[in-house]
Amino acid sequence: MVSVCIYFQVHQPYRIKEYSIFEIGKDIDCFEDSSDSNTNNAKILKKVSNKCYLPANEVLLELLNNHPEFKISFSFSGVFLEQLEQYEPEVLESFQKLIDTTQVEILAETYHHSLSFIYSKEEFKEQVKLHKEIVQRLFGIVPAVFRNTELIYNNEIAKEVESMGYKGILAEGADHILGWKSPNFLYRPANTSNIKLLLKNYKLSDDIAFRFSENTWKEWPLTASKYADWITKVNGNGNVVNLFMDYETFGEHQWEATGIFNFLHHLPSEILKHPDNDFKTPSEIINSYSTIGTCDVEKYISWADENRDLSAWLGNDMQHEAINKIYSLRDKILSSNNSDLIHKWRKLQTSDHYYYMSTKQFSDGEVHKYFSPYASPYDAFISFMNVLHDLELELSKDEIIEEVTTIT
Amino acid sequence: MFGWELPPFFAGGVGIVCSELLKELARRDDISVTYVMPFGPKQIKNQNFKLIIADNLKMKDKIKTKYIPSLLGAYISKDEYLEKLEGLVRDKDGNVGMLKDNTLQLYGKNLLQEVYRFSEKAKLIAKDEDFDVIHAHDWTTFPAAEEASKISGKPFIIHVHITEFDKSGGRGASPDIYAIEKQGMESSDKIIAVSEVVKKGLVKNYGINPNKIEVVYNAKVNSSDIIEGAFPKFADNSKVVLFAGRVTMQKGPEYFIEAAEKVLRFYENVIFIMAGTGDQLKDMIRKTSELGLSDNFLFHGFYTRSDANKFFKLADVFVMPSVSEPFGLVPLEAMEKGTPAIISKQSGCSEILRNTLKVDFWDTDKMANQIVALLNHKSLKKVMSEKGQTEVNSLTWDEPVRRCVDLYKKVIRDRE
Repeated sequence: MVSVCIYFQVHQPYRIKEYSIFEIGKDIDCFEDSSDSNTNNAKILKKVSNKCYLPANEVLLELLNNHPEFKISFSFSGVFLEQLEQYEPEVLESFQKLIDTTQVEILAETYHHSLSFIYSKEEFKEQVKLHKEIVQRLFGIVPAVFRNTELIYNNEIAKEVESMGYKGILAEGADHILGWKSPNFLYRPANTSNIKLLLKNYKLSDDIAFRFSENTWKEWPLTASKYADWITKVNGNGNVVNLFMDYETFGEHQWEATGIFNFLHHLPSEILKHPDNDFKTPSEIINSYSTIGTCDVEKYISWADENRDLSAWLGNDMQHEAINKIYSLRDKILSSNNSDLIHKWRKLQTSDHYYYMSTKQFSDGEVHKYFSPYASPYDAFISFMNVLHDLELELSKDEIIEEVTTIT
Repeated sequence: MFGWELPPFFAGGVGIVCSELLKELARRDDISVTYVMPFGPKQIKNQNFKLIIADNLKMKDKIKTKYIPSLLGAYISKDEYLEKLEGLVRDKDGNVGMLKDNTLQLYGKNLLQEVYRFSEKAKLIAKDEDFDVIHAHDWTTFPAAEEASKISGKPFIIHVHITEFDKSGGRGASPDIYAIEKQGMESSDKIIAVSEVVKKGLVKNYGINPNKIEVVYNAKVNSSDIIEGAFPKFADNSKVVLFAGRVTMQKGPEYFIEAAEKVLRFYENVIFIMAGTGDQLKDMIRKTSELGLSDNFLFHGFYTRSDANKFFKLADVFVMPSVSEPFGLVPLEAMEKGTPAIISKQSGCSEILRNTLKVDFWDTDKMANQIVALLNHKSLKKVMSEKGQTEVNSLTWDEPVRRCVDLYKKVIRDRE
C-alpha cells in the first residue's frame, strides 16, 4: 500500500513598502501601500487569489466532493490568514468550504512564518500558540502535526515540538541527511520518544512544483497518468509519498496555460485507479504507519535552494544584522504591553524580509531567480532597517508616555 | 581603427576604452590593427605608446600606430578647440600654427575645418595601408572613417560613446556637429552603442534604424593602483562621500550637493569630496557656501590617477548622479577598489551593474537615504563592497571584443 500525503503551504508576508529615512517618526504604516508597486500587499493578494487560490480551491472542492477518499492538508501562515480577513474575505470562505469537507487537515506553524526557533524558543512557542488560536477561530480545528517555516528542521526542533504535544513533524527529505534512507517511510527524530517525522519526497514534489512546465525536461509534458505510474511504483519500497509544495504552484508559479489545473483535476482519479494507492492526511499517516528507524539531524535543514540550509535567510552580514537587531528588541517590546507595537514587531520577523536581502542568486546575475518586490537586496535591507529604526523610536516614545502617566 | 590618445595621457573614457580594446584585440591571433590617432604639438609621441604596450610585447607586432598631426581631442567643443589653437605660438604676421622648431603645421581655423582636414589625412593613410574594416570612435573621426571607407571600398563601423545630444542635454546642441554625427551614422555599415540608453537616443534623436545598432557594453578598466603623496586628513571617525567626474551639468553635481545637505540632517560627521573640474565648478562652490555646507565640502579640482585611488580608498560611498551618462566607467573603478557605488538610473552602466544602489538623479531624498544607510550600516557597506568587487572583476574585455570582431566579420561578409 502506498499512501499519498499532500501538503500545500499557503503564505503571503506583510511586505514593507519602500521606507525612507525621511519617513521615520512620521507615524506611517509600513505595511500599507496603495501604490502600484509590488509592495502593495492588497494588490498582490488579489492577483494571487485570482490566479491561484480561487481557481485551485474550485478544482479541489470538486475533487473532494467527487472522491471522498481524496485527502489533502494545508499549512496557512497566520499573516496570510490575517490578510485574507483584511483584504479578501471571499477567498477565506472558499478555504473554509474545503475544510468543511472534513477531508482536509490543517497543520501547525508559527503565526508569523518566522525563524523564531533559532533565536528565541519562548518567542517561537508564543507564535505557535497565536497560530493555533487563529486556526481554531477561523476553521474550528486544532492542529496536531507541526511544520516549521520553510521546513526548517533539526533534532532540537523535533524535541521541542514533541514537548509541545504534537504527534508529528514535517521536514525536507534532503539527500545529505537521508543518505541511503528513503523518504517514503516514517522516522523517529533522534532523542524523542513519540513524535514521528514525515519527509518530503523532493523528487516527486519538485516534478510538479518546478519541472512541470520545463519543456527541456525529458518527461515533459507531464500527464496525471504518467505521474500516477511513478507513485504506484513506490509500492513495495515504501509506505508513503509525501508531496509537499507551495500552493502557489497552481496558477502562480506554474501558469494556468501550462495545464497545471488540468493535471490537478485528473490526479486523484489516476492515482486511485490502482487499488494499492490511497490518500491520507499527515495525522492519518502517523496513525497508520510505524517508524522504521531514527533520523538524526544535527544541523538545520530547510527546503530552500540547492543547499537545503539556512543560507537563503542568513547568508550575509546584512541579514544577520537585521535579524539580530529584531530579536534584541524582544524584552523591550514585550514589556511595553503595546499590542500594536508587538504585532508590528512580529510581522517584521517573517522570513521573507530576510530572504529579500539575500545576495545569493542576485549577485551572480541570476536575476530571474531573485523573487523580490525590491530593486535589490540592498534596497530591501535599507527599507527594513529604516522601519526598524522607526519601531525603536515608537518604543522610546511609548516609554516616555508611560513614565509621564506613572508620575501623574 | 580611428581612436584617441591613450592612457595615461587621456581626456576621458573613450581613450581608456580604445586602449582596452587594443590590448584585447592584440591578444587574438586573427586580428592586427592599424591605430590612427590625432597628435598635437604638445604631445609626447614615444612615451605615449610605450606605456600601454610595456606589459604586452605581442602587442608591438600586432598594433601599428599612425599619427596625424592635429589638435583634435575626444570630447572637444568648438570653443575648446579655438582656445587650443590660440594657445599655440603665433608668427610675426599673427598666423597661428607656427611651431617653435619652424615646422609649419597648419591646423584648421575652427573645429569643423580641423575635422575635415583630419579626414583628408586619413584618406592618405587608407590608401597606403592594407586592412579589411574600419572602426571609428566618436564623431570627430566619423568623416575620416567615411573617407577612408570610400577610397578603400572597405566597410566601416562607428562606435558611439557619447553624442552631441548627451553632452548638451538636447539644449544648444551644435547643428553642425549633429549633422556630422548623423551623416556618419547613416553612411556607416554598422553602429556600436555603449548602452541601450545610447541606442535609444540614436533612434530617437538621429532617426537611425534600431536594427543597425548593436549594444556592446564596456568592461572593467584596468587602471593602476598607484598612490603617491599623502592622504588628506579629516577629523577622526568622519565619513567620506565622493563625487568624481567633470563638474558639468551632464554629471549632475548640483544633485550631489542637494543630497549632501539632506544627509547632514541625519549624520554630522561627513566630508563630501567633489573631485574634478568643469564649467559648473564655481557655481557649485557658491551653492555649498549658500547652503552653509562649506565646512563639509572639499573641492579638489583636476585629479590624477593617484588622487582618484586615494579618494576611492577614503570614501565610504561613491555617488554618480549623472543627468545623462552614456555608459559611465567611474563606478566600475570605484567598485573595483571596493567602494560601494550609488549611480543614477539614467546611466548606461546601470543597465548591467547589479551590486550598486540606483536612483533617479533628481530624487535627492532617495539618494540621501541611500548614502545615510551606507554610512550607518557596516554590513551593507561590506556586502556591497565585496559583491561589487567580484562583479566588476568578472566584467572583462574578451566579451565586448568578441562582439566587435563578430561585427567586423559580419560587415565584411555583407559587403561581399
